[in-house]
Amino acid sequence: MAGISIKGLSKSFGRRETSFAAVADLDLEIKDNQFVTLLGPSGCGKTTTLRLIAGYIIPDRGTIEVGGRMLSSPSAVVPPEGRGMGMVFQNYAVWPHKNVFENVVFGLKLRRMPAAAARKKVEETLALVNLSGLEARYPNELSGGQQQRVALARSLVVEPDILLLDEPLSNLDAKLRERMRSELKELQRRTGITFVYVTHDQAEALALSDHVAVMDGGRLQQYGTPFEVYSRPANRMVADFMGLVNLVPGTIRAVNNGSGTVELAPDFAVEVAALDGFQPGESVDVAIRPENIRLAAPGASSAGKLAKIANHVFLGNISEYYVALSSGPVLRVQTHPLQHFEVGESVALEMDATQCSVFRRASGDAKPV
Amino acid sequence: MTTEVASAALHPPLVRQRVRRRVTLEHVVMGGAIVCLIVLVVLPLLSLLLGSVRGPEGMSLDHFSEVLTGRLYLNALKNSLILGAWTGLFSLIIGLTLAWAVSRTDVPWKPLLQLTATVSYLSPPFLTAIAFTYLFSPNAGLINVLMRDVLGLTWLTFNIFSMAGLVLVTVMHTFPFVYLLASSALQSVDASYEEAAQILGASKLRTAISITGPLVAPAILSGTLLAFVNAIALFGSQAIIGLPARIVTLPTRIYALFDYPPEYGLASALSLVFVLITIVALYLQRAFLARRSYVTLAGKGSRPQLMQLGAFRWVLLGFAIGIFIVSIVAPYSTLIAVSFSKSWGLDFWKGLTLANYKFILFEYNVTQRAILNSLMLATAASTIAVLLGAVIGWIDLRTLIPGRKLLDYFALIPLGLPGIVVAVALIQFWLAMPVALYGTLAILLLAYVGRYIPLSVRAANASLRQVDPSLEESAQILGASWLTTMREITLPLIRPGLFAGWLLVFVPVIQELSASILLFSSSSITLAVAVYNLYETGYFEPVAALAMINMVIIGAAIWLAHWFGGRSLTARTEAAPVNV
Repeated sequence: MAGISIKGLSKSFGRRETSFAAVADLDLEIKDNQFVTLLGPSGCGKTTTLRLIAGYIIPDRGTIEVGGRMLSSPSAVVPPEGRGMGMVFQNYAVWPHKNVFENVVFGLKLRRMPAAAARKKVEETLALVNLSGLEARYPNELSGGQQQRVALARSLVVEPDILLLDEPLSNLDAKLRERMRSELKELQRRTGITFVYVTHDQAEALALSDHVAVMDGGRLQQYGTPFEVYSRPANRMVADFMGLVNLVPGTIRAVNNGSGTVELAPDFAVEVAALDGFQPGESVDVAIRPENIRLAAPGASSAGKLAKIANHVFLGNISEYYVALSSGPVLRVQTHPLQHFEVGESVALEMDATQCSVFRRASGDAKPV
Repeated sequence: MTTEVASAALHPPLVRQRVRRRVTLEHVVMGGAIVCLIVLVVLPLLSLLLGSVRGPEGMSLDHFSEVLTGRLYLNALKNSLILGAWTGLFSLIIGLTLAWAVSRTDVPWKPLLQLTATVSYLSPPFLTAIAFTYLFSPNAGLINVLMRDVLGLTWLTFNIFSMAGLVLVTVMHTFPFVYLLASSALQSVDASYEEAAQILGASKLRTAISITGPLVAPAILSGTLLAFVNAIALFGSQAIIGLPARIVTLPTRIYALFDYPPEYGLASALSLVFVLITIVALYLQRAFLARRSYVTLAGKGSRPQLMQLGAFRWVLLGFAIGIFIVSIVAPYSTLIAVSFSKSWGLDFWKGLTLANYKFILFEYNVTQRAILNSLMLATAASTIAVLLGAVIGWIDLRTLIPGRKLLDYFALIPLGLPGIVVAVALIQFWLAMPVALYGTLAILLLAYVGRYIPLSVRAANASLRQVDPSLEESAQILGASWLTTMREITLPLIRPGLFAGWLLVFVPVIQELSASILLFSSSSITLAVAVYNLYETGYFEPVAALAMINMVIIGAAIWLAHWFGGRSLTARTEAAPVNV
């Protein structure tokens, strides 16, 4: 029973004049046994949120409950040492003056576990993270990945209900990162511990999480499954942050029962499903990911809009084309590498309308079309 | 992964819950440190201020007007400034030359040059002064006698009791300030800056003038100002060399104001004038040093160019050996020789004896008491200062307590206080208190801790900065209380830094004279005061023996701190990615 319930959480830093809200009005329900990622650019408040959950920071407003037990509120905060959580830090924070065994056994000693049982428990946990046999090593004799595992083992050995991870993979090289990623996922499944994972890497978030909480400017932007936040971004920020996206300016032409038509160019319109609350005549941006646009030779597809290839980048597993509409906008398109067009060639461009998201254009960011 | 036995013990009972805002051990320790700092530094300073404006009837500025117009005081001020200026200049010349030689040239025997600077820095300046009087006092000084009476070279005699003599013995202690700052700056200027200038066609000289010079000038100026500040604060050499030469300076004038009847008001006012000079100099020094930041930022792992000097390097080495002889060989060999002599003179070697050591160690109870007192005081003062420094550094770096920066500033104030001023302030404060501390070991302890608290705070601060907060936080989240985290994680990790800080306080305390001279009583006499008193009363040979004891204690302390500090631990801490 270790669901986390966050309500109206706010925290500001700095003095009154220069203060900024690191976290503002955050509501988040994290269910038991879940792998939840807090995702966002640096300064979005994700680490502050994690440290609020851990109890290192006292909230200005709002509450944090775990399994029905009130842990944080502006008037009373259970300190980190009373929360029974685990935390893995970005820099591992493996104590350099203790060897691997001493690092891992620390939490068990605090819990006054008999030495023999503790030794057994440490051995089991080290086996779990593939570190058996390295008990006597000091951190400076370990690689980055091994230190990472020591930090993990140290947190796991006390069997916390909740494990907090603050960008734990960001200091590893790309290959190791990928391996640790799948190990983490596997570990979470096996132990059933609730993982709260902070990262700025959207690929990591998509690969690992049951649920992703996208944050920006201290506020929760969207909370959903990886598929939801990727394919149905709630707003422009989420669409942009979750991967490559084309934002094409357009105008609402008709709205009917929540679906309708958006005109992107004088003779180019898409039928979009989710248009609840929009009015005909409104200026909008249509967001579409590069892999959801198809290119074909002109004439091969009747639905396509004629456009011109402006640039081509070959990336190995995919080809990227920059395609200019006659009305001006240039779209980024990803195709199979075997599909080939010359720069300057005319192509028929077709957008998958089911994968389009429509965002109202704020008055400030209207671009000349 | 569950062991059945284990699981039950794993989950801490909910009783551990406690609310942050309750008063905890953490708060008591921090509050205690703050109170200590206020009693040690802030209150004595306030009573110094009060004392300086308290006239016979109410507030008045009479003391200040007398101090700023009276001939005696202006003369002392003038002498202090002259001494400071000459010392600064010669410290600059010697320190910069040695620093340049070590960091930028192919001069041979570099370790000797480094040793010269380090040992000169650690040598008690009043012992150097005493050693030089044995050699150059006008009538009985060994070298003067040799030149005048044996060789007939009267023009080669030198009267140590003069401004020149005073500058000489002071510079031997202060040039390392310039050396240390200049050599670190010269080593941290990235070679690529100079290479960039040279590839554009600048000659070596042009590069030195227009690139290297401006980059290191702030550090060099800053070192010179530190030399100035330290030079004018040295009571010992100014009393030993200056007073016989009738050169009265600020510390010796303040000291004289305590002759019966003591003039507390005048002493306070003069102390404040003294502090003002020091603070202006230190302010300039910090301002210069702040401009230096761009050097150190770029300069990691740089490889400075070494200049090929050719035959000139032997000239440079000769200069360095000259400094080595004057600052180390001459004073130390003199003190050793005198300490084993029956009577100091040209034929001292005919009557070598251990009687002086026997006298001060086993026969004369004043020196016995002084040695014991100093050992106790230095041990206690450095331990207290280090613990206090650790807590203050911890408050500054690890908490969000409002006013923690102010606390840090309070802890730095004593840097601007000459020793004798600390003594005046403490006397003013504790005479007004109902507790009779004057003349006890306790007031000396307060003086030492207060005077050297900046050193321990800096040492603790520097080593705490090396410890990433996440190392403490990860103990906390595993369930460790504040005390456990301190004992298991923080203190072991900063231990080498704390031992360094302990040594940094111990060494100056064991040779402290400037404050002790006003605070001691016959029962609380210290080593340095005993040396000074014996010298004043003419026991020249036992003085040298006592001086040697002083040096042995300093050497032992350095060795002990190295031994306890644990170098393997330092290495391990540095290698681990504590500071990613």
